[in-house]
Amino acid sequence: MITYSHAPQETISPSSVKIIGLGGAGSNMLECIALDGMEGTELLALSSDARTLGACLAKEKIQLGVNLTRGLGAGGDPELGRQAVLEAEAQIRAAVQGHRIVFLCAGLGGGSGSGAAPIVTRIAREEGAFVVVFVTMPFAFEGKRRRDQAETALNELAVLSNALVTFDNNRMGELVLAKQGIHEAFTAANQMISESIKAVIRLVVRPGLINVGLDDLVSALRTNRSRCLFGSGIADGKDRATKALRNALASPLLDQGALLKEAQTVLVHLCGGENLTLFEIELLMQNLQKYVPESAHVLFGAAVDPAMGDSLSLTLVSALPEDALTNPRETPGQTAATVEPSPTLSPIPASESPAAAPEVKAMEIPPIPTAVEPETPSLFEAVDPLPSAPEETIIDESLFSEEETPAPAIGEFTALATVEISEPEIEVEPAAEVEELPVLRLEPAEATPQPLPWAPPSSYETSADVTSTQKPEPEAPKLKLGIKTSSPQSELSLDSSPRGRFEGEKPNVFEGEDLDLPPFLRKKK
Amino acid sequence: MARRTKIHVGLEIGTSKTCIVVGEVKADSAVKILGIGETKSAGVRKGEIYDYSQTRACLKDALAKAEDASDVEIGSVFLSVTGAHILGVNNRGTFRLPDGEPVVTPEHVEDARTIARDIHIPQDHVYLHPIIRNYWLDGLEHSTSPIGLFGKTVEADFHIVHGIGTRLQNSIKLVREMPLEVDDIVFAPIATAQMALNHEQRENGALVIDIGAGTTDYALYLGGVIAACGCIPVGGDHITNDIHLVTGLAFSKAEQLKILEGDASADALRSVGTAKLTDERGYAEVEVDRSVLNEIIRQRLEETLKLIRQRLPTGAVEAIGAGVFLTGGTSLMRGFSELAFDVFGRDIYRPELPEISGIQASFKDPRYATSIGLIRYAQILETERAAPPGVIGRIGRMFWPFGR
Repeated sequence: MITYSHAPQETISPSSVKIIGLGGAGSNMLECIALDGMEGTELLALSSDARTLGACLAKEKIQLGVNLTRGLGAGGDPELGRQAVLEAEAQIRAAVQGHRIVFLCAGLGGGSGSGAAPIVTRIAREEGAFVVVFVTMPFAFEGKRRRDQAETALNELAVLSNALVTFDNNRMGELVLAKQGIHEAFTAANQMISESIKAVIRLVVRPGLINVGLDDLVSALRTNRSRCLFGSGIADGKDRATKALRNALASPLLDQGALLKEAQTVLVHLCGGENLTLFEIELLMQNLQKYVPESAHVLFGAAVDPAMGDSLSLTLVSALPEDALTNPRETPGQTAATVEPSPTLSPIPASESPAAAPEVKAMEIPPIPTAVEPETPSLFEAVDPLPSAPEETIIDESLFSEEETPAPAIGEFTALATVEISEPEIEVEPAAEVEELPVLRLEPAEATPQPLPWAPPSSYETSADVTSTQKPEPEAPKLKLGIKTSSPQSELSLDSSPRGRFEGEKPNVFEGEDLDLPPFLRKKK
Repeated sequence: MARRTKIHVGLEIGTSKTCIVVGEVKADSAVKILGIGETKSAGVRKGEIYDYSQTRACLKDALAKAEDASDVEIGSVFLSVTGAHILGVNNRGTFRLPDGEPVVTPEHVEDARTIARDIHIPQDHVYLHPIIRNYWLDGLEHSTSPIGLFGKTVEADFHIVHGIGTRLQNSIKLVREMPLEVDDIVFAPIATAQMALNHEQRENGALVIDIGAGTTDYALYLGGVIAACGCIPVGGDHITNDIHLVTGLAFSKAEQLKILEGDASADALRSVGTAKLTDERGYAEVEVDRSVLNEIIRQRLEETLKLIRQRLPTGAVEAIGAGVFLTGGTSLMRGFSELAFDVFGRDIYRPELPEISGIQASFKDPRYATSIGLIRYAQILETERAAPPGVIGRIGRMFWPFGR
């Protein structure tokens, strides 16, 4: 019997996820999540205001600044918030320890949120967790001071966290009518955030047929100081694929899908029940193509969860650099810049472990193709300039080496996608192709901007099967030529109006009028 | 005269469907439908056969179904024909009795009829029905034959239906190849009128309009006799084509829209918003502005009805007492009665859709009106033939010099 070292677990169990709600806003968000229920995840509420803590539904609560603020809030002062959290640092550290992923929810602009959030993030990072921070920016009417405080905190968080998801409260106004109660407005906003958190958790916790992991999430949210575009939709019944897409695009954060036009990377995650069909995925992706620019990199993931039953849930995550919302900018250059340093930074261990993994992988779960970006481990390093980088890399590796998969899997996947979506005349390669041992092509030296996901992956060296998908490129022009040559006209019809069904028949003249033409058109003349 | 139950078969080769109805005429002249065999027609356009082999295949299929449904071996049929080439004209032939013969004899009547039938019809046309309408004896209208009466001038008023001979012969040939015998060919609206109108309605004046998929046939009865009939080569397919041409939708979608969402009345309330078609597989919906859709349908139907009105003799529409009877598949269009009322200004009768299914229901189904009418026509013909010669009853006014 062949013994092989078992790679550490490839999925992240729900119990290793911790959701922290910080401050008043954070606790509200937490409540929403708690009410909706998220199996296995642990909820922790942090606040300096004892009243908020008392009202919160979270299982774990830590009061910040027991001595400093004595149960009162931070009063909108970030400095106070910062000091308060430092007081409870040890407790927080203990709470976070051992958890692989930490979600931090906070509302920036106030005291606890702006002051404490960067600290908590730092603590969590130090404990080795992958931190995703969800923050809301204050309303415009809250004033400049709060805005500035929020911005400062945002800058710090952008640096400290692994992934930062920002919600602008002003956009929340689109969720509900301005006439409706403020309670409803905020509830709607909280629900939206909790939905997105759950979607991200689902993304990460559930292994899919086509996996997207946190690394994909990071690449989707790559640009710093970015505004997150998030949409999620659930639908069931017939044509649920279209409905789910519509619901997802209806999210105000996506502005009916218009904002997606500027996105560079989009993460799409589909989760369905047992009866999820390839056809629905195709349909959905085809429809999505209309909203996403051609040059965008689409990270696609699909998961089958029997608990979903008949419904289909779709999650769209993307990010736009802040100034993109106001003026068109040079993100291609930016993304290229972020990618370039990666080859230099990739340490040897990172490239070694994936080398070990594929062989292992191929024997373990051959038929599952996965789509994971190969350059993400190096990306991690690129994004994180903290001096604690060396230890980070080790942590990241162990965290994510198991999630790397052989490259041809991608090739196969994109070949599949290519085949179905853009070149219908090529047959789909069977997924079983993955079984063959891939030519290892860890290419962090992918300095060029992301290739078209639907184009044949020219950089991937794989078996000849994949190259067959490259055939359409030279063939396509020929095909087009063939279509352009039209059949010669057999008859010159003096009356050039189209006759639809009665094309080719002699005019049905009846008392001076050609009855085959619609009166609707005839009368117009 | 042994009156036994006789089984008649009516065959209609239409644009949308080929239909064979097997009916039994009972002793009390009631008609009972034994079975219907129907297939979707291919190879027929605007009521006329343009693809012989396809039509033959459809006919074979319909025949098999009809025989199956009715458990009768069909040997001969009554065939209904239609087409824009079929025209109906009225003609009156006058015969002056020679001196010394004051009483009208059958020979005189015969002469009068010969003269009446001798109208100028186009070269390639043949007679389909020379139908006697009235006799006039010295200026006085007689409904029955004036044989035995005194008079100087005998006039016979005929309604001549004629059409292109070769096309009719092709239809007959098609049926003969089945193999089936053709008992008679009947112009479609006349057959429909047998079914749609009763004696009283014909007496009062009634117009039957049968709008099918390819053609619109009409027959006008005034004073109990036929006054006009004809065919306009516009039908439901034209409406679908119109929708297709104007909106750019696919034909099948246009057809569905027409059936599900179309409305021919000019009611502004019903023309608000958009008409949508959703596909189960989640494919793109089809959306058309309702006002545009209804306008297209209305204009087409309005034009068709106006053409009929033009074709009727002057003053005929005012003489219609009973009303206008609409039948045929396209007559099921919503709001059609309002439109017909706008054009004719008479009482409009529409066939109500059958609530019950089964053979009984087809009696009232407007789509089978013609085929079932053929049975009734056959029954009348039989009655006439069974009657001793010389007594031409009011009902038995149908004459057919078949094959002439």
